[in-house]
Amino acid sequence: MGRELELLQGTLDMLILKAVSLGPLHGYGILLRIEQISKKRLEIQQGSLYPALYRLEDQGWIKSEWGESDNNRKAKFYSLTAAGKKRLVAETEKWREMSEVIAGILGTRAEEV
Amino acid sequence: MKRIVRLLSWITNRGVREREMEEELRAHIEMRAEDLVREGLPKEEAYRCARVEFGGLERTKEECREVRGLSVLDGIWQDLRFGGRMLKKSPGFTATAVISLALGIGANTGLFSLVNAVLLGSLPVRNPQELVVVQYTTPESSGDVADDDYSYPMYRAIRNKNTVFSGVLCRSGLELNASLGGQSERVSGELVSGNYYETLGVTPYLGRLIAPDDDRVPGEGAVAVLSYGYWQRRFGGDGSIVGRDILLNSAPMRVIGVTPAGFYGTDLGRNPDIRVPMMMAKVFRPVPANRLENPRHSWLTILARRKPEVTTGQAQAALDLLYHQELSDELAGSDLSPHEREKRMGQRIRLEAGNQGFAHMRSEMERPLMLMFGATAMVLLIACANLVNLIMARNAKRRQEVAVRLAIGAGNGRLVRQWLTESLLLSAIGGAAGVAVAYWAKTALIGFMPREYAMNLRAPLDWRVLVFALAATMLTGLLSGLAPALELGRAHVAPSMREGVPATSVPERLLSLRSALVFGQVALSLPLLIGAGLFLHSLANLRGVNTGFTKENVYLATLNPSLNAYPRERVKEVYDELLTRVRALPGVKAASLTTSSVISGGWDQEGVRVEGYTPGLDENMNPNAALVSTGYFATLGIPVVKGRDFTEQDTAGRAKVAIVNETMARYFFGDRDPLGKKMSVSDEKDAPLDIEIVGVVKDAKYVRVTEATKRHFYTPMAQEPRLADMTLQVRTSTEEEARHIGEMVKAQLREIDANVPLYAATTLEIQIDNSLVRERLLTWLSGVFGVLATLLAAVGLAGVVAFSVARRTKEIGIRMALGAQSGDILREVLARVTALVAAGLMVGLALAFWVSRAAGSVLFEVKPSDPAAFVGACVVLGMAAMMAGYWPARRAVKVDPMVALRWE
Repeated sequence: MGRELELLQGTLDMLILKAVSLGPLHGYGILLRIEQISKKRLEIQQGSLYPALYRLEDQGWIKSEWGESDNNRKAKFYSLTAAGKKRLVAETEKWREMSEVIAGILGTRAEEV
Repeated sequence: MKRIVRLLSWITNRGVREREMEEELRAHIEMRAEDLVREGLPKEEAYRCARVEFGGLERTKEECREVRGLSVLDGIWQDLRFGGRMLKKSPGFTATAVISLALGIGANTGLFSLVNAVLLGSLPVRNPQELVVVQYTTPESSGDVADDDYSYPMYRAIRNKNTVFSGVLCRSGLELNASLGGQSERVSGELVSGNYYETLGVTPYLGRLIAPDDDRVPGEGAVAVLSYGYWQRRFGGDGSIVGRDILLNSAPMRVIGVTPAGFYGTDLGRNPDIRVPMMMAKVFRPVPANRLENPRHSWLTILARRKPEVTTGQAQAALDLLYHQELSDELAGSDLSPHEREKRMGQRIRLEAGNQGFAHMRSEMERPLMLMFGATAMVLLIACANLVNLIMARNAKRRQEVAVRLAIGAGNGRLVRQWLTESLLLSAIGGAAGVAVAYWAKTALIGFMPREYAMNLRAPLDWRVLVFALAATMLTGLLSGLAPALELGRAHVAPSMREGVPATSVPERLLSLRSALVFGQVALSLPLLIGAGLFLHSLANLRGVNTGFTKENVYLATLNPSLNAYPRERVKEVYDELLTRVRALPGVKAASLTTSSVISGGWDQEGVRVEGYTPGLDENMNPNAALVSTGYFATLGIPVVKGRDFTEQDTAGRAKVAIVNETMARYFFGDRDPLGKKMSVSDEKDAPLDIEIVGVVKDAKYVRVTEATKRHFYTPMAQEPRLADMTLQVRTSTEEEARHIGEMVKAQLREIDANVPLYAATTLEIQIDNSLVRERLLTWLSGVFGVLATLLAAVGLAGVVAFSVARRTKEIGIRMALGAQSGDILREVLARVTALVAAGLMVGLALAFWVSRAAGSVLFEVKPSDPAAFVGACVVLGMAAMMAGYWPARRAVKVDPMVALRWE
């Protein structure tokens, strides 16, 4: 397991969308899934999760529904909307481009300038 | 758009959403706890861990709410509900606060509704801001006072030849006897030009209104328009009157329409009952016969509507030019002296804003109303100060609550918002109650105004008034809430939460704020009390003025047989017969008739020439004049000091006689005997001096109680060919009889002639009192406010003293246990109270000096710095304050020291 990375600002939204795109989840489940697929290298501040969820719902990328969890507990499940799917694709593309550019800049050697 | 939808759904779903959020977050924590249990932690441990991991639950909730963008509203709603609960929990406080607020805001709003109607309101016509009143200034008056009377030919010239007005109207008041089916009554009327309604932009409520076609030929156009009020009063709102004839001064006139309910005319406070076309002046005001053609007879007032693209300045310049052209044409063919010509050509047109019409009531009531407004504002401030005190006293008990809230993370700003919301809520309740108080206050105030204004004044609580009430409420809420809110926000958390610290051990700061407030209250109350003293003194002076006649027990009523177009002989017959019969009534000591009744606000003047006296250029040769019957001086109790009174022998055909008053005798004859000298009632150069002066009477007050004595002469009504309206004066033995003799007099008149109504019946005392209405209003109001302010200040002071003493209970207890006498403690407390009150009085005095100068113009023979008023007010306020401070102090030092020491 590598070092735990600090979460860059603004990326939480993207991660939530990705987590939810793999299937509807409740808040706690989203937390677990992100931890899981990041292979525990990413830890989310629990306090910032729900405001982010509410914001994403407000903006229309995700929608919520009450349902039952595995333990038959009542929980609110979030799922991706069509607009959210498009948003995720767009954001992912932007992220890839950005990281290419940054990587390029950071990898520049003295002679190339 | 989405926001609005969300706001609406927020209002409806708020409860649900809160619950859901709570559930969701709890579920999260529980699920984490379950996982921890599965990892081996005991249940409670797991739960606690999960909670700690999650972080601040409330904070997260707050952030979530904020994300929704509605947290501010949420917070305010919470504050309101909390505030409402707190108010319910302390009903005594709430009641006191609401009552003082209601009184303060209500008084201000009520007064403002009057200010709104009298000073701010516009005529109920189309585009009143386009209207202008046409006046002219003379070289002597140099622009301060303007005249506004014009001749008909001048009006016609202005109307036809101007290029700057879209309409020019003229009008003049009229006295009418209205008769229908044998029942006659006197009504107020107006002669108006044909384009009157057109220019103002008034549409009929029923039928049609006077139009230019009705106003073409002198003597023709026998139509009349009724006011809505008169139509309701006299005809009960029966629409069939339109199209029927009524008799106005015995002339049949066709009623063609009724004006809408809100329309009263061009003068606020005057609401003429009937309007007729100007050409009917030939019928209704037949003297002089050439009234409509004579350029030297000025009797009309003119109102004009500017064309929208013309400014008042431009219109004034253009009209001035036109006016002078007309004047020079007029003067070319006249026989006036060059001096007179110069005077006329020196006149300058002045256009005043006409959106309030002729605004007579405004100029009369402006000063008193503004003074009163200032006073009510002061009272409201004082009530505010009391409210602040109350709130702070109550907050002292809530320090623990504050400390806890601060500890769990409420920001200072949040707390301040809470207190402000509470006081705004309180103000809102007080303000709503205040509107009800305003309605009552306004009605009471109108009752104090001069009767002819009060009858027609509507001061509705319209939007401007309500906005004012709202502003006053919010301002009060903010003012009262801010100080204690800020104070509390800065409270120290730690000491308050510690157990054993008594709730009353508050920082010194708090006490000094409250003391400052009381100081302010005292300072504001003093000017009010002084004002009350000044007005009271002034009123007493007015009431005590020697009027020169005996004002008690005199009944007055007016009649005008000539309105029925009777021949002269008939008119004289009616008068003589009435006098004879009335003198025979039981309880009547004397009766007489006169053209002008004393202290009725108006008087006739006549130009005279006097034997042996050459008037200087422009000297005023117009003394007051009255036609009187025999027994006039006896009825009023005016002694004849030289010569004789009029007798039955002074009739038409005999030598003409006159009686003058002392001032006139002195003016024209100095020390010489006026008896036997001749005069004429006419200022024409060649008029014969054919009237002999046969008597001199003592001076009296004629028009106003406050006036300086003027020259006056009397001539017998028997020697005057033309008689118009006259006032009957009847002296009885008691005031009671004076009030009730009216019925008998009316019955007598009815027997003589049923078509002559008797009107304006009153007693002389009431008439004089009416003339003092402004002064009475000011005295009454300032008295009420002064007392109210003093009470509030006293209550405030009592509260502060009680508070300060309670705070030092322990200290006092120790001192007394060590041997201090209760008297010593008392003296010390009172010394501080005295210092506070004295400081307040001094500032109050300074304020009073400054403010009382504004009242100078409405005071009668009282200097604004009247020592009696100042000293009296200081004494009253000082004593009230000392008593207010003494009582709680005394209670405090009576406490048993043992109890005080133990009390914690």
